[in-house]
Amino acid sequence: MAAIDYSEKIPNNVNLASDRTLQRALEHWQPNYLKWWSEMGPDGSTDFDVYLRTAVSVDPSGWAHFDHVKMPDYRWGIFLTPTDADRAIHFGEHLGEPAWQDVPGEHRANLRRIIVTQGDTEPASVEQQRHLGLTCPSQYDLRNLFQVNVEEGRHLWAMVYLLHRYFGRDGREEAEALLERRSGDANNPRILGAFNEKTPDWLSFFMFTYFTDRDGKFQLCALAESGFDPLARTTKFMLTEEAHHMFVGESGVSRIIQRTCDAMHELATDDVAKLRAAGVIDLPTIQRYLNFHFSVTIDLFGADQSSNAATFYSAGLKGRFEEGKRADDHRLHGQTYKVLEIADGRLGEREVPMLNALNEVLRDDYIKDSIGGVNRWNKVIEKAGIPFRLAVPHKAFNRKIGTLANARVSPDGRVVSEAEWNAHVRDWLPTAEDRAFVASLMGRVVAPGKFANWIAPPLAGINKQPVDFAYVRFN
Amino acid sequence: MSTDPRVDYRTEPSRYRHWKLACDGPIATLTMDIAEDGGIRDGYKLKLNSYDLGVDIELSDALQRIRFEHPEVRSVIVTSGKDRIFCSGANIFMLGLSTHAWKVNFCKFTNETRNGMEDASRHSGLKFIAAVNGACAGGGYELALACDEIWLIDDRSSTVALPEVPLLGVLPGTGGLTRVTDKRHVRHDLADVFCTVTEGIRGQRAKDWRLVDEIVRPAEFAAAVRRRAEALAAGSDRPAGAAGVALTPLARRDDDAGYRYEHVDVAIDRAARTATFTVRAPAAPQPADVAGIEAAGARWWPLALARELDDAILTMRTNELAIGTWLFRTEGDIDAVLAVDATLARHAQHWLVRETVGFLRRTLARLDVSSRTLFALVDRGSCFAGTLLELALAADRTYMLRLPDAPATEPTMAASALNFGAYPMVNGQTRLARRFYDDAAQIAAVERTQGTRLATSEADRLGLVTSAPDDLDWDDEIRLALEERSSMSPDALTGMEANLRFGGRETMETRIFGRLSAWQNWIFIRPNAVGDKGALKVYGKGGKAQFDFQRV
Amino acid sequence: MTPDIAPDVLRQHLIDPEICIRCNTCEETCPIDAITHDDRNYVVDPGKCDSCNVCLAPCPTGAIDNWRQVARASAYTIAQQLAWDALPPPQAVDAATPADIPQEVARITAVATAGQGGAAAPPWSAAHPYVNLHTLAKPAVATVSGNFRLTDDGASSDIRHIVLDFGSTAFPVLEGQTIGIVPPGTDAHGRPHFVRLYSIASPRDGERPRYNNVALTVKRVTEDHAGKAVRGVASNYLCDLEKGATVHVVGPFGTSFLMPNHPGSSLLMICTGTGSAPMRAMTERRRRRIALKEGGQLMLFFGARAPEELPYFGPLMKLPRDFIDINFAFSRVPGQPKQYVQDVIRTRGADVVRLLRDEQCYVYVCGLKGMEDGVTEAFRDACRAHGLDWDALLPAMRAHGRYHLETY
Repeated sequence: MAAIDYSEKIPNNVNLASDRTLQRALEHWQPNYLKWWSEMGPDGSTDFDVYLRTAVSVDPSGWAHFDHVKMPDYRWGIFLTPTDADRAIHFGEHLGEPAWQDVPGEHRANLRRIIVTQGDTEPASVEQQRHLGLTCPSQYDLRNLFQVNVEEGRHLWAMVYLLHRYFGRDGREEAEALLERRSGDANNPRILGAFNEKTPDWLSFFMFTYFTDRDGKFQLCALAESGFDPLARTTKFMLTEEAHHMFVGESGVSRIIQRTCDAMHELATDDVAKLRAAGVIDLPTIQRYLNFHFSVTIDLFGADQSSNAATFYSAGLKGRFEEGKRADDHRLHGQTYKVLEIADGRLGEREVPMLNALNEVLRDDYIKDSIGGVNRWNKVIEKAGIPFRLAVPHKAFNRKIGTLANARVSPDGRVVSEAEWNAHVRDWLPTAEDRAFVASLMGRVVAPGKFANWIAPPLAGINKQPVDFAYVRFN
Repeated sequence: MSTDPRVDYRTEPSRYRHWKLACDGPIATLTMDIAEDGGIRDGYKLKLNSYDLGVDIELSDALQRIRFEHPEVRSVIVTSGKDRIFCSGANIFMLGLSTHAWKVNFCKFTNETRNGMEDASRHSGLKFIAAVNGACAGGGYELALACDEIWLIDDRSSTVALPEVPLLGVLPGTGGLTRVTDKRHVRHDLADVFCTVTEGIRGQRAKDWRLVDEIVRPAEFAAAVRRRAEALAAGSDRPAGAAGVALTPLARRDDDAGYRYEHVDVAIDRAARTATFTVRAPAAPQPADVAGIEAAGARWWPLALARELDDAILTMRTNELAIGTWLFRTEGDIDAVLAVDATLARHAQHWLVRETVGFLRRTLARLDVSSRTLFALVDRGSCFAGTLLELALAADRTYMLRLPDAPATEPTMAASALNFGAYPMVNGQTRLARRFYDDAAQIAAVERTQGTRLATSEADRLGLVTSAPDDLDWDDEIRLALEERSSMSPDALTGMEANLRFGGRETMETRIFGRLSAWQNWIFIRPNAVGDKGALKVYGKGGKAQFDFQRV
Repeated sequence: MTPDIAPDVLRQHLIDPEICIRCNTCEETCPIDAITHDDRNYVVDPGKCDSCNVCLAPCPTGAIDNWRQVARASAYTIAQQLAWDALPPPQAVDAATPADIPQEVARITAVATAGQGGAAAPPWSAAHPYVNLHTLAKPAVATVSGNFRLTDDGASSDIRHIVLDFGSTAFPVLEGQTIGIVPPGTDAHGRPHFVRLYSIASPRDGERPRYNNVALTVKRVTEDHAGKAVRGVASNYLCDLEKGATVHVVGPFGTSFLMPNHPGSSLLMICTGTGSAPMRAMTERRRRRIALKEGGQLMLFFGARAPEELPYFGPLMKLPRDFIDINFAFSRVPGQPKQYVQDVIRTRGADVVRLLRDEQCYVYVCGLKGMEDGVTEAFRDACRAHGLDWDALLPAMRAHGRYHLETY
């Protein structure tokens, strides 16, 4: 086994150099990780020098270190936000007790499950996105894709760190399994449904990073509240990276919209066929993609009533979004929350114990947050003077999990008949033709400063570099 | 009255308040004459030769004295010192006042004592005859049932009875129902009648129904019993003229963090709700011949160990209810343990060796029925070999340390001849046979390794180890396993552990424990027994029990 | 709040709501909870933010890096910021009282620009300058990545080209801006040394393009203006720095002496000695954009004692003539009459006046204090000779940001 220079190869603030348990675990895992990266990481990218941001320490100046690196040489680090010795558990039945520095045996199984579920999404999205580099709309976007990929890789490292450091042999086995599952493999799928979907084109990619990575953000936010301090500190640091992914998504979609609006002006038309002929993505198609990604993603929050969610909360393992900023008793006994249900062919609300509805609470927080960005996309359309607005579909639309699973509900929230659903589903969700059209636009553009026709350039480059900077050097 | 809330199981004949032990050649007489004011707890009087835990501690001690200090004794007459009362069983007021846990512990101990009498009859050539010289009810009759024979005085009034159901709304707690059927083969319909008449059965009918072996008129009763005891003694292989071994007072140092003996150390971690039992191999050379063993007496390591471990288990079990997990570790030289085992095997027929092995057997059997999680930790410097290997085999899980970087210093364990029959569980199986469900090949594979040290991978391969973490994982694995265990329902764990420990074969003893655990414990917490108007609560207060008549 | 902010002016930290993605990273990062948000916007509390800049690097979008000079009384409140869809246009703050410039820097600047009648407006197309990102309280740490002598070994003056690298620390500069060097240690009285200002000699995208570095032109001070021997603390400190040494830097400073960015704009540059630094920066900026063919002319008047004492003489000589019109004036070339920049300006009077008349031409003068009067007189003479009234022209040029003078 080749010895690893731990501090150099793996930037960390977890004292890796003197932690034999961790070293041993990583000695075994790291080569398998690199093997996974070469098999399932970005296709054909091994020799590229990519202008990437690497975290080299946790202080604000240290975690945004930019340089051209080959991705297999990326220094995937292990970082936790600095510890707060006085941190106490601030919700659930252990409220007020000191935060746990080790896994409490009582919660071992649940914590492991939470970490594994979160960890599984990280390599999954790399796998989903591995062919996108071949159709990138610009060097700038290619670099952003790769940045997202290496950071998902680092997030996997972060979760694996927790498994290795705190869960013994079980943890090591789970860490291996994270490298063994494959997105979309029917026999060996990733744990969560949305992470087995394809990310076939860049509109999907931007939608995914906007919507689905935002799910990641909310899950991480909820875990950052955890009474298990290493988990809280790990996820808190991950959040700073997750933000970049949402930036890629939000600005990516925004630039597509910008380009479409520009074309609508140039051609003075809102005719879908003409716009498609001009090689830009019409706004209704963008809306359908939005509907799809939004509805698939909100399923990730789980069933609207969940005893696991209640257990995780009461045990102090997973809080609510911004738990620390809420003003209630943080135990939630006797409190209720409204969840949707279909009764008598109509959508209604029902009060259920809040503890059991915490998935729904998080989902609603997520929805509120997603709507914000959609409104900012609308600003682009509004500025262009075009009378079209994007909207997130109703929470009950196209759901596959929970009470609303497989209910037929229109994007505007009406329960509809099977017939009406079938009549309109082409207007509501991307059709094969939509996907084929978007796919037809995907061609590789890599000349510095050049952008594919269907997307506008960004307002600024990365790290104050010019837009035409050589973000990726193809060797 | 003891003011210490903790129960101390150590006593000796000069301190008895309730029993008299009289040895007369091959016959010992144990006379129950219970001091009314001698309850081990406040709040009740031990009237009518009714007993509590304190009474049974003396009985248990007396039996040990007979085994070790009086090897010449071959039969034991159990009788009463009271007029027209043999024994009216466990004190009902005591039961009414006690917590559920106290009742269960009390029952468990009295059962073990009675099982011990049968064990002595079976293994040690000690025969017991109950000389029922007066009314004999409930636990009194159960004590008689534990004897080889029951002789009832035929005075037209003395009866034997199991009145728990009609009188108290509970079951007999010391194996009464099981022994009536399994041991005495009382026909079940007659037993149904017997168990529901408060006043009991007397005279010829008692004999006809097989409830007693003989009935004798008062004038001839003592002499007849004596003659019978002499006859029973004649069939015994107990030695004549052997000198006994004095069971000297057991030295124990108590502190907040545990109990310390010479060979056993119990360290309590109250926060974690665990206790670590560390058992040490003999530090000094042990005698290998009979003379040396007799000379060593109570200082002989296996006997000393048995006494200490027995006391530790009883003490922890009674006094430390919240300490739900017991960890077993061993320290010392494996070869020293194997050498002792070789001596035990070589002189198995010698009375003192036989008694010592029996003591160890009964002590280990207490572990099997402990309502505690038992984990064995085989780490550096441990000596789980032979007799001490039984501790690991008795455990619910065994963790053994792996040292991939220093295999030479890896802990080892070893089997000895004693692992293959000397220490059966109460279900009659050896712990290895229990472990492998009597699979001859697996047992033989271990048997072939007798006397050789098994390193972790080998022990693991043989199926002796649950988990073999290496040194990097060890601390965390153990901590997590313990924390996880501590977080689970103690009731569910007790039930689960008992289920898993006793797979397969059943004996009368396992049925007694099993039924006690299942039925009696259920009845003991039902309102019909312990509610404000429950039968146990209103007994003796003039009220009438009020039952919820729905059958469950 | 930064202690060295002028009492009535605030350099307010703002977040651009058009770029921000509301990811909460800044709020999470801020060590003093100065950032808050509602459903609409993330905003910075002007009463709390102490410009520590910790939030800048973690921001995934760059939206966090916005600063506005505002009158303290009319600082944007949290409520106002929360209602924005876009950043408001800059407030009109009197440019003569630069917001948050250290007093020492303000004093130096005031002296330097006295010749033009106080700070002038910048060219309308100048890029927005960042100022005072790094304060005396929290200076940036730069690494010396180069230090070499520009003047010949035989030359009487030791003028050096020093390159400072800021690594991952943000230090955005524009041509014409200055940065402050804080010499380590204390003076004879045990007080910290004064900060010394140096014009950057490199263009905005770095001495080495796209590296986070700046170049300075530093003359080793061995005598004072009167010729008396004196050892300049900062200049000697800088000139002696080895490659790899670290330097504490404050700034950047300067919101006026900035170059125009619009196509077709011309530069008329007059400098002496190390006053050439900003001229080099601007020239280099233009040179790197030659391919863009943005038009406009460059005319340079450069004075020194002799060619071998001209910093950047070699590189200057290599520039295409059609790119820049270079005019040297040497005062100490043996066997030749003493020439000063004002003499050459007069010689080229027709071309100079043509440029002065051109509203797309911006004039920059930088050098020793002593050149001011001579240059002004030369302009006046040239104007008079070509039918233009200098004294009427000057205020108009200043008002339009067309005349910038910096002397020391």
